[in-house]
Amino acid sequence: MTATPSVAPREWTRTHPVTPFIHVIRTVFALMAVYAIEVTQRPEEGGTLPGFVLFAIACGAIAIAIGWAAAEWRVNLYRIGDDAVYHKHGIVFHQHRQARLDRLQAVDIIQPFIARVFGFADVKIDVAGGRESNVSIKYLKLEDADALRNEVLALAAGYRSEHPGAAGGVGGAVAVPVPVGATPSPTANAASPVAVPPRVPVVAASERVLYRVPGGRLVGSILVSWSAIALLIVAAVTWMIVGAIGDEATSSQDFGSTGGGVTAMIVWVISLGTVLWAQLNNNANFSAGIAADGIRLSHGLLDTRRQTVPPGRVQALVVKQSLLWRGFDWWKVSLNVAGYHEQKQETVSTLLPVGTRQDALDAVWLVLPDLGDPDPAGTIATAMVGSRAENGFTASPTRSWIFDPLQWWRRGVKATDRALLIRKGWLLREFYVIPHERTQSLAIRQGPLQRLLGLATIEVHSTRGVIRPVAAHLALEDAIALIEDQARRAREGRARQTPEQWMAAVTG
Amino acid sequence: MLAAGIVLGLNGGAWWALPAGVLVLALWISWIIVRQVSAHAWVEREDDLMVRRGRIFRRVTVVPYGRMQFVDVASGPLARAFGIARVQLHTASPGSDAHIAGVPAEEAARLRDRLTTRGEARLAGL
Repeated sequence: MTATPSVAPREWTRTHPVTPFIHVIRTVFALMAVYAIEVTQRPEEGGTLPGFVLFAIACGAIAIAIGWAAAEWRVNLYRIGDDAVYHKHGIVFHQHRQARLDRLQAVDIIQPFIARVFGFADVKIDVAGGRESNVSIKYLKLEDADALRNEVLALAAGYRSEHPGAAGGVGGAVAVPVPVGATPSPTANAASPVAVPPRVPVVAASERVLYRVPGGRLVGSILVSWSAIALLIVAAVTWMIVGAIGDEATSSQDFGSTGGGVTAMIVWVISLGTVLWAQLNNNANFSAGIAADGIRLSHGLLDTRRQTVPPGRVQALVVKQSLLWRGFDWWKVSLNVAGYHEQKQETVSTLLPVGTRQDALDAVWLVLPDLGDPDPAGTIATAMVGSRAENGFTASPTRSWIFDPLQWWRRGVKATDRALLIRKGWLLREFYVIPHERTQSLAIRQGPLQRLLGLATIEVHSTRGVIRPVAAHLALEDAIALIEDQARRAREGRARQTPEQWMAAVTG
Repeated sequence: MLAAGIVLGLNGGAWWALPAGVLVLALWISWIIVRQVSAHAWVEREDDLMVRRGRIFRRVTVVPYGRMQFVDVASGPLARAFGIARVQLHTASPGSDAHIAGVPAEEAARLRDRLTTRGEARLAGL
C-alpha cells in the first residue's frame, strides 16, 4: 500500500464519487422494505393504490435521494494546509470549517460496514473546541484516508514539508500506513513495559502492538455482565409466559393484556440484545499499540474504527472492575480525550474493553509511560484492590462511613510526581488517573453534614467525556492540603508538558 | 409558613395572615440572599483564580490562568441598571463552573482584561 503514494490534497478536492451511493444505501434499503411490505399486504388490505403507482413512487423516492446526495457530494470539498484541514459542505446551509492542527486531539479512520465492504473510509479529525468542532471527511478510498491521516499527524507533530507534494517522505518519517489486517510482530508483547518504560524512537516507522483482546475473552466478558444476566432473566420469563398462554390460549380471559406484557418483554429482550451486540461489534478484534504519532487503537467487527491519539492528548483514565469480573481478574480502561464528545462516546473512549491486570497496567503505561512513582506496578495494584492508607494513599477517614457505608474504606487519593490517582468503589472497583498537566481546574466543596464531621470533597475537572473524577469525603485538612499541592503540581506539570507540536522539540 | 397563612386566611378569621406570610417569606429569602452574597468572593492569586461560593453548601473553585479558554462578561437590563455584571470563566471542562456574580461593571471589564492577559501569558495546550 505504501507503493502507491497517495497524497493528501492541498487544493479543494471532492471526496470519492461513490460517496452519494454509500450515503443513500440505507435509505434505499428502507424504501425497499416499505415497498415490499406495502406490496405483500395488498391482497389482504385491498391496497389503496395500484401497483405500478407504488413502484413509481418508490423509484422516484430513490432517484430523489440519490440526486440530493449527489448534489451534496458536489459541494462537499476538503483540502489540507500547513496549519489546518479545511472542509466545506452543504447545499442549503453552507458550512466552511477549518480544523486547526495545533488543536488536534485525535484522528480516526472509521469504516462503517457498507463502506468497508467496498474499501472506503471516513476520516474524522477531532480538534479541541466547542461542540461540533470536528471535521469528518467521507468517504475516501482507504489508502487516501490513510495518507490524509498520516499527513495530518505529521503536520500536527510539527514537521513542515518544503514540497507540499512530498507527503510520502513526511509520512514515511512518522507513520507508515498500517495495512488492514497487518500483524505487527508479536515480540512487542514480550517486554514488560511498566517496569522499564522504553523510549519510543522518533523515527519509529510502524506501530508496536502492546495488547490485543482475544475474541473468547471479549465474548466471555459480555456474557458475564449485568446486561446479559438481565437478558437471560427477561427471556426466560417471556418464554414461560408464552408457554402458559399456549396452554390456556382458549380459556384465558385477559389474553389481550398478557399479550401486551409479552410484547413489552420482547422489546426488552431486543433492546438488551442490541446493547450486547453493540459491545461485541465495537470491541471485537481490539488492539492497542504505540507509534511515534501516538496511541493507536483498532477495533470493530462489522464497523471498524482505527483511532490515533497523539501524545499528551489523553486527559484522564478510569480503570474499572465489575463485581462479576472479579473472579476472572478482568479490568476495563476508558479514557477522556477533548475532541471525543459525540453520540458514540462509549465506543471511542474505550482504551481496553476487557483485559487482565497486566493489560490494564499496559493501558495505563500507554498513556503515562512514567507514572512518576518509584513502584508504579505496586501503586496501581493498591489503587486496584487496596484499601485505607496502604502504600501512601490518603484515605477518607473512618467517620465518613455515614456517607459511604459500602465503600468508605476504598476511598483514597495518591499524588505521584506525574499524576493524581483517585480510588473508590467496593462492589464496582474503580480508580481514576489524571495527569497533573491535564487538570483543567479544581474545586473543593463541603455540605453541612460534612462540615460537622470535618470532611470535604475534591472535584478534579477534566474535559467533557466519560470521566468525572471526584475524591469524596476526605478529611478537611487533607483536602485543603491536596488542593493546594495539586494546584502547584498542575503548574509544574504544565511547565514541562509535551509541546503541542510533539515532534517540534526533537526536529527543530 | 405560607401554607399556614393560606389555611388561616381561608378559614375566614385572619385576613392579614396571607400577606403576613408572604412578607415573612420574602424577608427570609432576602436574608438568605444577603448571606449568600456575603459569602461570594474571589481572589486573584499569582497563578490561579479562586472563587468562593455558598454558605451551607460551600464550594471553592480554583482555575489556573493557563487553563482559561475564554472569559464572558454578561449583564442583563436589571444588572445594568445597578451597574453590575457577571464574569464567567470557561475552561475546556464543563465541570469547572467558575463564575463571579455581581461584580461592578468597570471592575468586571478590568478583571476580564487582566484574566485574558494572564491566560495568554500562561496558556498551554489543553
